[in-house]
Amino acid sequence: MVSFAELIVSALGLYAGIGIIFALLFVTFGVARVDPAAKGAPWGFRLIILPGTVALWPLMLMKWIGGGRRA
Amino acid sequence: MSHGYQAVLWNKHKRTYDLAVAGGIVAYIGTFIGVSMATWSGPNILSTEILLIQAFGSCAFIMLTIILSIGPLARLNSIFNPLLYNRRHFGVMFFIVALAHVIIATFWYHGFGIVNPLVSILSMNSEYDRIAQFPFESLGFVALLILFVMAATSHDFWLANLKPGVWKAMHMFVYVAYGLLVLHVVLGALQAERSSLYTWLVIASAVWLTVLHVLTGARETSKDHHGAVAARDGGHWMAVAALDDIPNDRARIVPMKDGERIAVFKYDGKVSAVSNVCAHQNGPLGEGKIVDGCITCPWHGYQYNPDNGQSPPPFTEKIPTYKVKIEGGHVFVDPTPLPPGTPVAPAIIGGNA
Repeated sequence: MVSFAELIVSALGLYAGIGIIFALLFVTFGVARVDPAAKGAPWGFRLIILPGTVALWPLMLMKWIGGGRRA
Repeated sequence: MSHGYQAVLWNKHKRTYDLAVAGGIVAYIGTFIGVSMATWSGPNILSTEILLIQAFGSCAFIMLTIILSIGPLARLNSIFNPLLYNRRHFGVMFFIVALAHVIIATFWYHGFGIVNPLVSILSMNSEYDRIAQFPFESLGFVALLILFVMAATSHDFWLANLKPGVWKAMHMFVYVAYGLLVLHVVLGALQAERSSLYTWLVIASAVWLTVLHVLTGARETSKDHHGAVAARDGGHWMAVAALDDIPNDRARIVPMKDGERIAVFKYDGKVSAVSNVCAHQNGPLGEGKIVDGCITCPWHGYQYNPDNGQSPPPFTEKIPTYKVKIEGGHVFVDPTPLPPGTPVAPAIIGGNA
Protein backbone atom coordinates (compact mmCIF):
# COMPACT_ATOMS: atom_id res chain seq x y z
CA MET A 1 0.00 0.00 0.00
CA VAL A 2 1.29 3.45 -0.89
CA SER A 3 1.91 5.61 2.18
CA PHE A 4 0.86 9.25 2.48
CA ALA A 5 4.52 10.28 2.36
CA GLU A 6 5.07 8.34 -0.87
CA LEU A 7 1.96 9.95 -2.34
CA ILE A 8 3.20 13.47 -1.52
CA VAL A 9 6.69 12.82 -2.89
CA SER A 10 5.29 11.18 -6.06
CA ALA A 11 2.89 14.11 -6.62
CA LEU A 12 5.72 16.61 -6.14
CA GLY A 13 7.93 14.60 -8.50
CA LEU A 14 5.22 14.50 -11.16
CA TYR A 15 4.56 18.24 -10.80
CA ALA A 16 8.30 19.02 -11.01
CA GLY A 17 8.81 16.62 -13.94
CA ILE A 18 6.08 18.25 -16.03
CA GLY A 19 7.38 21.63 -14.85
CA ILE A 20 10.93 20.93 -16.08
CA ILE A 21 9.74 19.90 -19.55
CA PHE A 22 7.38 22.89 -19.75
CA ALA A 23 10.05 25.29 -18.43
CA LEU A 24 12.56 24.23 -21.09
CA LEU A 25 9.99 24.90 -23.82
CA PHE A 26 8.83 28.12 -22.15
CA VAL A 27 12.25 29.77 -21.77
CA THR A 28 13.12 28.77 -25.34
CA PHE A 29 9.91 29.69 -27.20
CA GLY A 30 7.28 31.14 -24.85
CA VAL A 31 8.88 33.77 -22.65
CA ALA A 32 9.09 36.50 -25.29
CA ARG A 33 5.43 35.94 -26.18
CA VAL A 34 4.36 36.25 -22.53
CA ASP A 35 6.59 39.29 -21.88
CA PRO A 36 7.84 41.33 -24.87
CA ALA A 37 10.66 42.75 -22.72
CA ALA A 38 12.19 39.24 -22.76
CA LYS A 39 12.58 39.26 -26.55
CA GLY A 40 16.23 38.60 -27.38
CA ALA A 41 17.12 38.24 -23.68
CA PRO A 42 20.40 36.41 -22.96
CA TRP A 43 20.48 32.73 -22.00
CA GLY A 44 21.68 33.64 -18.52
CA PHE A 45 18.32 35.32 -17.95
CA ARG A 46 16.42 32.31 -19.33
CA LEU A 47 18.39 30.04 -16.99
CA ILE A 48 17.63 32.29 -14.01
CA ILE A 49 13.86 32.14 -14.58
CA LEU A 50 13.88 28.37 -15.22
CA PRO A 51 13.39 27.26 -11.55
CA GLY A 52 10.55 29.76 -11.07
CA THR A 53 8.88 28.47 -14.23
CA VAL A 54 9.14 24.92 -12.90
CA ALA A 55 7.48 26.07 -9.66
CA LEU A 56 4.71 28.11 -11.32
CA TRP A 57 4.26 26.21 -14.59
CA PRO A 58 0.43 26.04 -14.59
CA LEU A 59 0.27 29.84 -14.24
CA MET A 60 2.84 30.43 -16.96
CA LEU A 61 1.07 27.93 -19.23
CA MET A 62 -2.12 29.98 -18.87
CA LYS A 63 -0.22 33.19 -19.60
CA TRP A 64 1.43 31.62 -22.65
CA ILE A 65 -1.93 30.44 -24.01
CA GLY A 66 -3.48 33.81 -23.17
CA GLY A 67 -0.75 35.83 -24.88
CA GLY A 68 0.71 37.29 -21.65
CA ARG A 69 1.65 40.83 -20.70
CA ARG A 70 1.47 43.63 -23.22
CA ALA A 71 4.49 45.95 -23.63
CA MET B 1 13.80 48.52 -14.45
CA SER B 2 11.74 46.64 -16.98
CA HIS B 3 13.63 47.15 -20.21
CA GLY B 4 15.57 44.20 -21.66
CA TYR B 5 16.06 41.61 -18.95
CA GLN B 6 19.53 40.54 -17.84
CA ALA B 7 20.42 37.48 -15.76
CA VAL B 8 21.75 39.51 -12.84
CA LEU B 9 21.96 43.30 -12.59
CA TRP B 10 25.35 43.83 -11.02
CA ASN B 11 27.08 47.13 -10.48
CA LYS B 12 30.14 48.03 -8.42
CA HIS B 13 28.15 48.43 -5.19
CA LYS B 14 26.21 45.21 -5.67
CA ARG B 15 29.38 43.25 -6.40
CA THR B 16 30.99 44.63 -3.23
CA TYR B 17 27.86 43.80 -1.24
CA ASP B 18 27.61 40.27 -2.63
CA LEU B 19 31.31 39.62 -2.02
CA ALA B 20 30.95 40.88 1.56
CA VAL B 21 27.95 38.58 2.19
CA ALA B 22 29.69 35.57 0.59
CA GLY B 23 32.83 36.34 2.62
CA GLY B 24 30.72 36.56 5.78
CA ILE B 25 29.15 33.16 5.06
CA VAL B 26 32.55 31.50 4.49
CA ALA B 27 33.98 33.16 7.62
CA TYR B 28 31.00 32.03 9.72
CA ILE B 29 31.10 28.41 8.52
CA GLY B 30 34.89 28.26 8.94
CA THR B 31 34.79 29.79 12.42
CA PHE B 32 31.89 27.56 13.48
CA ILE B 33 33.68 24.38 12.46
CA GLY B 34 37.06 25.56 13.79
CA VAL B 35 35.70 26.56 17.20
CA SER B 36 33.53 23.42 17.46
CA MET B 37 36.44 21.13 16.68
CA ALA B 38 38.61 22.93 19.22
CA THR B 39 35.87 22.86 21.88
CA TRP B 40 34.44 19.35 21.48
CA SER B 41 36.92 16.57 21.93
CA GLY B 42 37.15 13.00 23.21
CA PRO B 43 33.80 11.16 23.51
CA ASN B 44 31.84 14.39 22.81
CA ILE B 45 33.37 14.97 19.39
CA LEU B 46 30.88 15.49 16.54
CA SER B 47 31.37 14.14 13.04
CA THR B 48 32.30 16.57 10.25
CA GLU B 49 28.92 15.99 8.59
CA ILE B 50 26.98 16.95 11.71
CA LEU B 51 29.20 20.00 12.20
CA LEU B 52 28.47 21.05 8.59
CA ILE B 53 24.72 20.51 9.09
CA GLN B 54 24.77 22.69 12.21
CA ALA B 55 27.05 25.32 10.66
CA PHE B 56 24.93 25.77 7.51
CA GLY B 57 21.66 25.54 9.47
CA SER B 58 22.59 28.15 12.07
CA CYS B 59 24.12 30.38 9.37
CA ALA B 60 20.87 30.22 7.36
CA PHE B 61 18.76 31.05 10.42
CA ILE B 62 20.93 34.05 11.29
CA MET B 63 20.78 35.21 7.65
CA LEU B 64 16.97 34.96 7.66
CA THR B 65 16.82 36.99 10.86
CA ILE B 66 19.00 39.67 9.22
CA ILE B 67 16.84 39.64 6.06
CA LEU B 68 13.66 40.14 8.10
CA SER B 69 15.36 42.95 10.05
CA ILE B 70 16.44 44.96 7.02
CA GLY B 71 12.97 46.27 6.06
CA PRO B 72 12.03 47.61 9.52
CA LEU B 73 15.55 48.98 10.12
CA ALA B 74 15.40 50.91 6.84
CA ARG B 75 12.03 52.35 7.88
CA LEU B 76 13.55 53.48 11.17
CA ASN B 77 16.75 54.93 9.71
CA SER B 78 17.75 55.60 6.10
CA ILE B 79 21.33 54.56 6.89
CA PHE B 80 20.11 50.97 6.33
CA ASN B 81 18.75 51.68 2.84
CA PRO B 82 21.83 50.21 1.06
CA LEU B 83 21.06 46.87 2.76
CA LEU B 84 17.49 47.08 1.46
CA TYR B 85 18.72 47.93 -2.02
CA ASN B 86 20.60 44.62 -2.16
CA ARG B 87 18.26 42.46 -0.12
CA ARG B 88 17.23 40.15 -2.97
CA HIS B 89 20.79 38.94 -3.55
CA PHE B 90 21.09 38.35 0.20
CA GLY B 91 17.85 36.33 0.03
CA VAL B 92 19.09 34.10 -2.78
CA MET B 93 22.39 33.48 -0.95
CA PHE B 94 20.39 32.60 2.18
CA PHE B 95 18.41 30.04 0.19
CA ILE B 96 21.65 28.47 -1.13
CA VAL B 97 23.00 28.16 2.44
CA ALA B 98 19.68 26.65 3.65
CA LEU B 99 19.70 24.23 0.70
CA ALA B 100 23.25 23.12 1.58
CA HIS B 101 22.03 22.39 5.13
CA VAL B 102 19.11 20.33 3.79
CA ILE B 103 21.18 18.38 1.24
CA ILE B 104 23.86 17.39 3.77
CA ALA B 105 21.26 16.49 6.43
CA THR B 106 19.16 14.48 3.97
CA PHE B 107 22.09 12.41 2.76
CA TRP B 108 23.54 11.96 6.24
CA TYR B 109 20.33 10.92 7.99
CA HIS B 110 18.23 9.49 5.14
CA GLY B 111 20.58 8.64 2.28
CA PHE B 112 21.85 5.19 3.26
CA GLY B 113 18.66 3.16 3.22
CA ILE B 114 16.49 1.64 0.51
CA VAL B 115 13.68 4.18 1.03
CA ASN B 116 13.61 7.36 -1.07
CA PRO B 117 15.29 10.01 1.19
CA LEU B 118 12.36 12.42 0.77
CA VAL B 119 9.84 9.72 1.69
CA SER B 120 12.08 8.84 4.63
CA ILE B 121 12.04 12.46 5.88
CA LEU B 122 8.25 12.54 5.85
CA SER B 123 7.58 9.04 7.16
CA MET B 124 10.34 7.92 9.55
CA ASN B 125 8.72 9.71 12.48
CA SER B 126 4.94 10.02 12.82
CA GLU B 127 4.79 11.34 16.38
CA TYR B 128 2.89 14.46 15.39
CA ASP B 129 0.95 14.41 18.68
CA ARG B 130 4.03 14.53 20.93
CA ILE B 131 5.98 17.77 21.26
CA ALA B 132 9.14 16.12 22.57
CA GLN B 133 9.27 13.68 19.62
CA PHE B 134 7.69 15.91 16.96
CA PRO B 135 9.08 15.22 13.43
CA PHE B 136 10.75 18.61 13.08
CA GLU B 137 12.30 17.63 9.73
CA SER B 138 8.92 17.92 7.97
CA LEU B 139 8.61 21.53 9.18
CA GLY B 140 11.96 22.34 7.61
CA PHE B 141 10.90 20.54 4.41
CA VAL B 142 7.77 22.71 4.04
CA ALA B 143 9.78 25.85 4.85
CA LEU B 144 12.30 24.92 2.17
CA LEU B 145 9.53 24.57 -0.44
CA ILE B 146 8.28 28.08 0.42
CA LEU B 147 11.80 29.51 0.33
CA PHE B 148 12.48 27.80 -3.02
CA VAL B 149 9.46 29.45 -4.63
CA MET B 150 10.56 32.81 -3.21
CA ALA B 151 14.18 32.50 -4.37
CA ALA B 152 13.11 31.18 -7.79
CA THR B 153 10.75 34.12 -8.34
CA SER B 154 13.08 36.86 -7.09
CA HIS B 155 13.98 38.13 -10.60
CA ASP B 156 12.26 41.27 -11.90
CA PHE B 157 10.65 39.15 -14.64
CA TRP B 158 8.43 37.60 -11.98
CA LEU B 159 7.62 40.93 -10.40
CA ALA B 160 6.48 42.25 -13.80
CA ASN B 161 4.49 39.17 -14.78
CA LEU B 162 2.89 38.27 -11.46
CA LYS B 163 2.18 42.00 -10.81
CA PRO B 164 3.64 43.78 -7.75
CA GLY B 165 0.66 43.13 -5.44
CA VAL B 166 0.62 39.36 -6.02
CA TRP B 167 4.43 39.14 -5.99
CA LYS B 168 4.64 41.05 -2.73
CA ALA B 169 1.87 38.97 -1.13
CA MET B 170 3.59 35.77 -2.25
CA HIS B 171 6.88 36.91 -0.77
CA MET B 172 5.22 37.73 2.56
CA PHE B 173 5.11 33.95 3.03
CA VAL B 174 8.69 34.37 4.27
CA TYR B 175 7.09 34.98 7.67
CA VAL B 176 5.34 31.59 7.46
CA ALA B 177 8.68 30.00 6.55
CA TYR B 178 10.32 31.81 9.48
CA GLY B 179 7.66 30.48 11.88
CA LEU B 180 8.18 26.93 10.58
CA LEU B 181 11.95 27.29 10.95
CA VAL B 182 11.61 28.57 14.53
CA LEU B 183 9.67 25.39 15.36
CA HIS B 184 12.09 23.27 13.29
CA VAL B 185 15.09 24.52 15.29
CA VAL B 186 13.46 24.49 18.73
CA LEU B 187 11.91 21.03 18.35
CA GLY B 188 15.07 19.68 16.75
CA ALA B 189 17.24 21.06 19.53
CA LEU B 190 14.83 19.59 22.08
CA GLN B 191 15.46 16.10 20.70
CA ALA B 192 19.12 16.11 19.78
CA GLU B 193 21.07 18.95 21.36
CA ARG B 194 23.12 18.74 24.51
CA SER B 195 23.26 22.50 24.97
CA SER B 196 20.46 25.07 24.84
CA LEU B 197 22.46 27.37 22.53
CA TYR B 198 20.14 26.97 19.52
CA THR B 199 17.00 27.45 21.60
CA TRP B 200 18.38 30.74 22.93
CA LEU B 201 19.46 31.78 19.43
CA VAL B 202 15.89 31.30 18.19
CA ILE B 203 14.33 33.07 21.18
CA ALA B 204 16.70 36.04 20.73
CA SER B 205 15.87 36.20 17.01
CA ALA B 206 12.10 36.04 17.58
CA VAL B 207 12.16 38.68 20.35
CA TRP B 208 14.40 40.98 18.26
CA LEU B 209 12.17 40.72 15.19
CA THR B 210 8.96 41.19 17.18
CA VAL B 211 10.27 44.32 18.93
CA LEU B 212 11.63 45.71 15.67
CA HIS B 213 8.36 45.21 13.77
CA VAL B 214 6.23 46.62 16.61
CA LEU B 215 8.52 49.68 16.88
CA THR B 216 8.37 50.29 13.14
CA GLY B 217 4.59 49.87 13.04
CA ALA B 218 4.15 52.31 15.95
CA ARG B 219 6.37 54.85 14.23
CA GLU B 220 4.51 54.58 10.91
CA THR B 221 1.16 55.02 12.70
CA SER B 222 2.51 58.04 14.56
CA LYS B 223 3.80 59.60 11.31
CA ASP B 224 0.42 59.08 9.63
CA HIS B 225 -1.38 60.63 12.60
CA HIS B 226 0.96 63.63 12.56
CA GLY B 227 0.49 64.06 8.81
CA ALA B 228 -3.30 63.89 9.04
CA VAL B 229 -3.30 66.68 11.62
CA ALA B 230 -1.02 68.80 9.45
CA ALA B 231 -3.23 68.41 6.38
CA ARG B 232 -6.17 70.84 6.63
CA ASP B 233 -9.07 70.61 4.25
CA GLY B 234 -9.23 73.72 2.09
CA GLY B 235 -12.24 72.84 -0.03
CA HIS B 236 -11.06 71.04 -3.15
CA TRP B 237 -7.39 71.47 -2.24
CA MET B 238 -5.55 70.22 0.81
CA ALA B 239 -2.84 72.26 2.53
CA VAL B 240 -0.07 69.71 3.02
CA ALA B 241 2.99 71.64 4.21
CA ALA B 242 4.67 75.00 4.55
CA LEU B 243 7.02 75.40 1.61
CA ASP B 244 9.97 75.91 3.96
CA ASP B 245 9.24 72.60 5.71
CA ILE B 246 10.13 70.58 2.60
CA PRO B 247 13.91 70.23 2.17
CA ASN B 248 15.36 70.80 -1.30
CA ASP B 249 15.42 67.66 -3.48
CA ARG B 250 13.38 65.83 -0.85
CA ALA B 251 9.71 65.19 -0.16
CA ARG B 252 7.05 65.54 2.47
CA ILE B 253 4.85 62.43 2.73
CA VAL B 254 1.18 63.26 3.19
CA PRO B 255 -1.23 60.51 4.33
CA MET B 256 -4.80 60.65 2.98
CA LYS B 257 -7.93 59.57 4.82
CA ASP B 258 -8.32 56.54 2.54
CA GLY B 259 -4.85 55.26 3.51
CA GLU B 260 -3.09 56.47 0.35
CA ARG B 261 0.08 58.55 0.72
CA ILE B 262 1.22 61.39 -1.50
CA ALA B 263 4.89 62.40 -1.85
CA VAL B 264 5.31 66.16 -2.38
CA PHE B 265 8.76 66.94 -3.78
CA LYS B 266 10.58 70.31 -3.80
CA TYR B 267 13.30 70.55 -6.43
CA ASP B 268 14.90 73.01 -8.79
CA GLY B 269 12.60 75.90 -7.72
CA LYS B 270 9.47 73.78 -8.26
CA VAL B 271 7.06 71.53 -6.38
CA SER B 272 5.42 68.34 -7.73
CA ALA B 273 3.25 65.67 -6.13
CA VAL B 274 3.15 61.96 -6.97
CA SER B 275 1.98 58.73 -5.37
CA ASN B 276 4.28 57.62 -2.56
CA VAL B 277 4.20 54.05 -3.89
CA CYS B 278 6.91 52.90 -6.30
CA ALA B 279 5.61 50.79 -9.22
CA HIS B 280 8.42 48.31 -8.68
CA GLN B 281 7.96 46.91 -5.17
CA ASN B 282 5.75 49.50 -3.48
CA GLY B 283 8.81 51.27 -2.04
CA PRO B 284 8.28 54.62 -0.24
CA LEU B 285 9.19 57.19 -2.93
CA GLY B 286 8.79 60.08 -0.50
CA GLU B 287 11.72 58.72 1.50
CA GLY B 288 13.90 58.94 -1.59
CA LYS B 289 15.40 62.03 -3.17
CA ILE B 290 15.82 63.78 -6.49
CA VAL B 291 18.82 62.38 -8.38
CA ASP B 292 19.66 63.73 -11.85
CA GLY B 293 16.28 65.47 -11.95
CA CYS B 294 14.34 62.28 -11.18
CA ILE B 295 12.57 61.02 -8.07
CA THR B 296 14.65 58.03 -7.01
CA CYS B 297 13.16 55.22 -4.94
CA PRO B 298 15.26 54.51 -1.83
CA TRP B 299 14.68 50.78 -2.13
CA HIS B 300 15.96 49.79 -5.57
CA GLY B 301 16.75 53.05 -7.37
CA TYR B 302 13.74 53.10 -9.72
CA GLN B 303 13.34 56.62 -11.12
CA TYR B 304 10.43 58.83 -12.19
CA ASN B 305 10.14 62.32 -13.65
CA PRO B 306 8.46 64.43 -10.96
CA ASP B 307 6.24 66.33 -13.42
CA ASN B 308 4.67 63.28 -15.10
CA GLY B 309 5.34 60.22 -12.92
CA GLN B 310 6.96 58.39 -15.84
CA SER B 311 10.28 56.56 -15.72
CA PRO B 312 12.79 58.15 -18.08
CA PRO B 313 13.07 56.32 -21.46
CA PRO B 314 13.66 53.52 -22.28
CA PHE B 315 11.97 52.43 -19.05
CA THR B 316 8.20 52.17 -18.89
CA GLU B 317 7.07 52.36 -15.24
CA LYS B 318 4.43 54.95 -14.35
CA ILE B 319 2.94 56.22 -11.09
CA PRO B 320 -0.11 58.42 -10.38
CA THR B 321 0.44 62.19 -10.20
CA TYR B 322 -1.44 64.98 -8.38
CA LYS B 323 -2.22 68.62 -9.13
CA VAL B 324 -0.29 70.98 -6.89
CA LYS B 325 -0.19 74.73 -6.18
CA ILE B 326 1.55 77.18 -3.85
CA GLU B 327 -0.32 79.93 -1.99
CA GLY B 328 0.97 82.15 0.79
CA GLY B 329 4.04 80.01 1.36
CA HIS B 330 1.96 76.82 1.68
CA VAL B 331 1.79 73.86 -0.68
CA PHE B 332 -1.70 72.64 -1.65
CA VAL B 333 -2.47 69.33 -3.31
CA ASP B 334 -5.64 68.17 -5.07
CA PRO B 335 -6.05 64.73 -3.42
CA THR B 336 -7.66 63.15 -6.50
CA PRO B 337 -5.03 60.90 -8.12
CA LEU B 338 -4.54 61.29 -11.86
CA PRO B 339 -3.93 58.18 -14.00
CA PRO B 340 -0.33 56.89 -13.80
CA GLY B 341 2.02 58.90 -16.01
CA THR B 342 -0.27 61.95 -16.40
CA PRO B 343 1.80 65.14 -16.96
CA VAL B 344 1.09 67.86 -14.36
CA ALA B 345 2.65 71.33 -14.47
CA PRO B 346 4.80 71.79 -11.34
CA ALA B 347 4.03 74.70 -9.00
CA ILE B 348 6.76 77.30 -9.45
CA ILE B 349 8.27 78.65 -6.23
CA GLY B 350 7.96 82.44 -6.31
CA GLY B 351 5.76 82.25 -9.42
CA ASN B 352 2.11 83.26 -9.82
CA ALA B 353 -0.35 80.88 -8.18
